[in-house]
Amino acid sequence: MTAAPPVRPPARPVPAAHRPLGGAGRLLRLEVRRNAMLWTLPLAAVLFWVLTFRQSMAYPPLWNVRAMTMQATGVAVFAPTVVGAAAWVGSREGRHGMADLVVGTARPRWIRQLAAWAATTGWAIVAYLGCVGALYGATVWQGAWGGPLWWPAAVVAASLPAFAALGFAAGALRPSRFTPPLIAVAAFLALELSAQFIHGDRSYWQISPLVAGPWEIGPDAGVAIFHPYLPDLPIAQVAFLAGLTAVLLGLLGLPAGSGGRWLRRGAAAITAAGLLAAGTAVALAGTGRLDAHGMITISALHDKADDRPIRYTPVCSQPPIPVCLHPAYASSLPVVTAALEPVLDEVAGLPGAPIRIDQAAATYEQESGNGVGIRAEGPPMSGPSPVYRLLLPNQLPGPTLTSSELVVAVRTNIGRDILADVVGVGRSADPAQQAVMAAILNTVDAETDPQVAAAAARFAALPAAARRAWLVEHLAALRAGNITLARLP
Amino acid sequence: MLAALVPAGSVGPRLRPGLRMARLHLASRRVSAALAAVAACAVALRVALHWHWDAYGALQLPLIFETACAAAIAVTTASPFGEPERATGRWLPILRLGAVLALAAAAAGALAAAGTGAHLAGGTLEVLRNTAGLTGIGLLCAAMLGGALAWTGPTVYLMIAVYALYTQWHGPALTTPWIWPARPSDDTGAALCAGLVFGAGTVLITMRGARDSVART
Repeated sequence: MTAAPPVRPPARPVPAAHRPLGGAGRLLRLEVRRNAMLWTLPLAAVLFWVLTFRQSMAYPPLWNVRAMTMQATGVAVFAPTVVGAAAWVGSREGRHGMADLVVGTARPRWIRQLAAWAATTGWAIVAYLGCVGALYGATVWQGAWGGPLWWPAAVVAASLPAFAALGFAAGALRPSRFTPPLIAVAAFLALELSAQFIHGDRSYWQISPLVAGPWEIGPDAGVAIFHPYLPDLPIAQVAFLAGLTAVLLGLLGLPAGSGGRWLRRGAAAITAAGLLAAGTAVALAGTGRLDAHGMITISALHDKADDRPIRYTPVCSQPPIPVCLHPAYASSLPVVTAALEPVLDEVAGLPGAPIRIDQAAATYEQESGNGVGIRAEGPPMSGPSPVYRLLLPNQLPGPTLTSSELVVAVRTNIGRDILADVVGVGRSADPAQQAVMAAILNTVDAETDPQVAAAAARFAALPAAARRAWLVEHLAALRAGNITLARLP
Repeated sequence: MLAALVPAGSVGPRLRPGLRMARLHLASRRVSAALAAVAACAVALRVALHWHWDAYGALQLPLIFETACAAAIAVTTASPFGEPERATGRWLPILRLGAVLALAAAAAGALAAAGTGAHLAGGTLEVLRNTAGLTGIGLLCAAMLGGALAWTGPTVYLMIAVYALYTQWHGPALTTPWIWPARPSDDTGAALCAGLVFGAGTVLITMRGARDSVART
């Protein structure tokens, strides 16, 4: 007979309320599982695909354009969906007439509300991260130069808790079946209104999370390529959104019955801190100004290190006159080279012709109202061995050009400029100079003067080698204005 | 059902029980709150039209208020009674139809009146078309998702329509008549699409009512 082994008494379960974050975690888990935001996730995803993903994919794979587009449209997509769903969740106890029933639960009302808000926010952030991950992943896959711009993504992420807090507060304070739709549409209207009031670069309304740069020019391929993306305005926007979130959540904890004395004091402190943060951020946004690189800079938040240009190795075409572009625009190099080839082949080695063509950064200047002046940084020609500095049409705001449109724009503007330097005139050329330029640029049909057109057609009909030989021999006279139309071969 | 609704001894003219039933139906759907929301939208639109808007903002503005009205109308379809109400008589579809038509007419009329004498982009015809179409989307959503979540349809459609308006400036333009707010007010195809959606939503909500099994969240 052997003695039975001693039986250890079962460990006494620790009450959930005594485990660190046990009760709160369980409450949060329940809210996560039964949250109305889950129902709107497919809608948000579809909207993101229709309004943001498709539009961004229509742009060339440039981080600046895609990230800035994503910020504006992402905020617009998630604002009504998150606000509406949060209002639905926030009004739950009131709509079901359960306010009295849940008064006796273990957790104060404010804590229960915070758990529901956190669950709503969590699902919204999960959906957003999936959407932005798909967009950024596709951009990486397409070989965009440089790294992702995280500040625009951070602004949208910071707006989600604020939207959820707005909807939740509206739903909790005014529980009705009409609250979710009306507050969702009102939030969208408020966003659109905020953009209407932006006038110039010192506007307080730039604090709106829709704004990713100078509002009037929108997503611009010319910024954040040669110089870093400035985090000044995004920092102010994130601070504003965090402050707004704190104010809205704090307000929920202020009424009697939302919790004990210390809890309500905590809510008051959060509200005050939020007001301070939001007010400061708005004031900072009002001190913004458009810098020469096309970004909004705020002196109190500005880091001088961000003014240094980004180092890069240009991608160049083959001689006779190499065309060198920033690697972010490498996909445009074949098109630009093809557009300039007829001009460069004719003028290479001639006096006044460049030895290389480099892409220049765009420089920006605030004009009256929302006007913004954009030009190439530095003089067009520089150095003892002339280097022509070009500003690609794709660096300017506006619709993305197709390849054929880009060819026409480059040949018409940049090709004409280079040729004008060789022929020795500005835009006001004499008839012979006009005819030579029209023949080389292949714009004979656009000439309005029939005599110039006839001479240009005659010159254009010559073999390229013959035209070049004539130019080598007669360029000095042509530049001096001593060639008449009749002397053109 | 009528007999149950009419207290004993209070039988008056023949119309009185019908009117009382209609009033109770409207009260159960919170129609008065919906009318208040419609009136608030009209007042807000009127106030907003006093400001100067750029072309893009001017086109968006009425659309946003039309969406708010349509969402409010769609939300009224939610029934607090569910199955018991469906079993009570044959008048329910007529009551649903009457409520929807009256609210849609009130919304279109209020918004059109708000634009009288001001520069309302698209004019009254566009208000009528957009409100009808958006209401139709809300009613279809109510039939499929339930009255409580019916607002999601018009709200989502609003964002797509705003994007379509944006593409009129920053192409490629979305020109399908199914996105009618981005089409001119005299576009027949857009009017037909909006009318079709409104008709489908009205028929569905009249015959079946809003779906009861809404998310119990």
